[in-house]
Amino acid sequence: MTLRLAIIGCGKIADQHLLAFRRIGGCEVVALCDRELLMAGQLGERFGITACFSDAAEMLRTAKPDVVHITTPPQGHFSLAKQCLEAGSHVYLEKPFTVTAPEAEELIALAKNKNLKITAGHNYQFTLEMLEMRRLVAQDFLGGKPVHLESHWPYDLSDASYVGPILGSQTHWVRQLPGQLFHNLISHGIAKLAEFLGDEVKVTAHAHQSARLKSLNGQEVQDELRVFLRDENGTTAFFCFSTQIKPGLNYLRLCGPKNSLLVDNSSGSLIRHVNKPSKSYLAFFLPPLRNARQHLRSARVNFFNFLNGSLHQDSGMKELIERFHQSIKTNGAPPIPYREIILTARIMDEIFAQIKTPAK
Amino acid sequence: MPANSIGSPTDRILVTGSNGFIGTRVVENLLARNFTNLRLFVRPSSKLEKLNAVLGQYPAGKNCEIVAGDLLSREDCQAAAHDVSIIIHLAAGFEKSFAGAFMNSALATRNLIAAFLELDQPRRFVNVSSFAVYSNLKMERHALLDETCPLEDAPQERHDAYGFGKLQQEKIVRDFGKKQNLPFVILRPGAVYGPGKPDLSGRVGINTFGFFIHLGGSNELPLTFVDNCAEAIVLAALTPGVDGETFNVVDDETMTSRDFLAARKSAKPFFSVWIPYPLAYLGSVLWENYSKKSGGQLPPVFNRRRCAAEWQGNRYTNKKLHDRLGWKQKVTLANALKSFLAQYQ
Repeated sequence: MTLRLAIIGCGKIADQHLLAFRRIGGCEVVALCDRELLMAGQLGERFGITACFSDAAEMLRTAKPDVVHITTPPQGHFSLAKQCLEAGSHVYLEKPFTVTAPEAEELIALAKNKNLKITAGHNYQFTLEMLEMRRLVAQDFLGGKPVHLESHWPYDLSDASYVGPILGSQTHWVRQLPGQLFHNLISHGIAKLAEFLGDEVKVTAHAHQSARLKSLNGQEVQDELRVFLRDENGTTAFFCFSTQIKPGLNYLRLCGPKNSLLVDNSSGSLIRHVNKPSKSYLAFFLPPLRNARQHLRSARVNFFNFLNGSLHQDSGMKELIERFHQSIKTNGAPPIPYREIILTARIMDEIFAQIKTPAK
Repeated sequence: MPANSIGSPTDRILVTGSNGFIGTRVVENLLARNFTNLRLFVRPSSKLEKLNAVLGQYPAGKNCEIVAGDLLSREDCQAAAHDVSIIIHLAAGFEKSFAGAFMNSALATRNLIAAFLELDQPRRFVNVSSFAVYSNLKMERHALLDETCPLEDAPQERHDAYGFGKLQQEKIVRDFGKKQNLPFVILRPGAVYGPGKPDLSGRVGINTFGFFIHLGGSNELPLTFVDNCAEAIVLAALTPGVDGETFNVVDDETMTSRDFLAARKSAKPFFSVWIPYPLAYLGSVLWENYSKKSGGQLPPVFNRRRCAAEWQGNRYTNKKLHDRLGWKQKVTLANALKSFLAQYQ
């Protein structure tokens, strides 16, 4: 079965989707759609796709895609996804899934009602090291439910191509989101925690503007966020988004009752911390050597993954899309449980309510 | 001022990208010609120290109107183009992504021209493009590169988002010229250098791997000093009878890549390794092939098209610039180099 795909929103991220489709196979792109027809045209020209539209309804009517990948700014996610689901297409929605949690709940309910699949572009959940982490957790490496989680997500303000236009325009779509800069960037880091938290999560959030952003004329935009979370089972979690910590931290730490894991997304490493106490002064020598062995193992794994051609920088996106398409073909479970998508959206709503980023 | 200039000093001229490396010099050139009615378009986040310093040097500088906006906004374009007779369009996108480069080069240009054409009689639209639009793939080493040479037909394969944006921008300008009689001139500057731009042109080499790899060897560089380039741009805006023409912009006096690098190092030494062109080409072929074979595990940042375009080497001519625009090199190479190298002291 070859899935007929369409993309709505032909900006930067659409290229990555098309490159992933090429590597996955079993699908063909039948239409590109962007409110600005020239944007659809430039993407089509580069990827050899001729069916370009500026109206989503016309595209759905004409091309009748099996799956629509929506890669627009988030303000359009809810209405476009709803339109696609009502037209009978499965939907892949880029992150953040929706602007608010009630919108996420409504979309998922609609998908279930229509017997269609929907997923969120939380592709960092599917990098090679995250898959390995999940395999170990399933084997009870942690020795039970996590006691504590930590998720760090960085952003480098020196990439002026992203932050420049945001700061340059009060009307930029990122500035119009309830959580502004955070809203567009933190869902990956929050989704990693949502996977291991229960449904009832208490959130305490603090945010401020860094001196660096202030010097860039950041106006009301905040760029430093710290969040403490606790679920109904007592599992606690800490989330940190920072533009200032150098080198940028991009990791998930899972602390279990028996052992712990550190998934470092910036270096594609998985470090196992095994509870193996050492006697006396050996505590100063053996644990560092064991850690060194873990890091060497990660380097070796990455090296062999590179040699066999599986260490793509966007391997998570390819894996997520492939699993999503497979779930459609087999009518299996979607790659990201709906509970996690909704919980991620709820946590984000609560964070933005607490930090009171000026609503636009 | 060119004979029979299409613009008089009181005409309103819009300069986009006016706060940029070339833009500030274009503004200075216009002020020195006693143009008193300039509208200077800048990004809202721009720091305007450089531009304000230029404006402060001329009495007419205080009359200049600085307009902050986003060329992706049609409303901002309309505000910028209102009551303007000539546009010098320098604003450029330096996005790494193709979509971003397209938006900031092509879409922005479309919006600006559409606003410009709402006027009764737009006189000239000067589109500043780049040598990045040329392809060298099927040309001999050191062949003469002029305005008639082939353009890149596969920027995606060349992995050059900037060149893609510029190609699409030129295409939009030409379409407007053909379909809606937009009076335009396209300028393609070579490697623009000067104070305020410390990085060396990619035609000299790259520092991708943490040290400088010199790839230009003994190739002639298409150098144009920023003030000489600004002179060409202003002449393109004012000279009658050149609508629809394209001009390459290079100085009369140029240097080889090796000599230019040596001059740069004389100001502030750094380590570099020279790789001869055949080796660079072989490396590019291997990289490109591996990129294809691995499904893009390594992005094709080095490839035959890029290697040919940047390091194969050409000879250059500015005959058309002299003949049709009456351009003369204002700043000698010696003075230009002195000014360029002073920034490293």
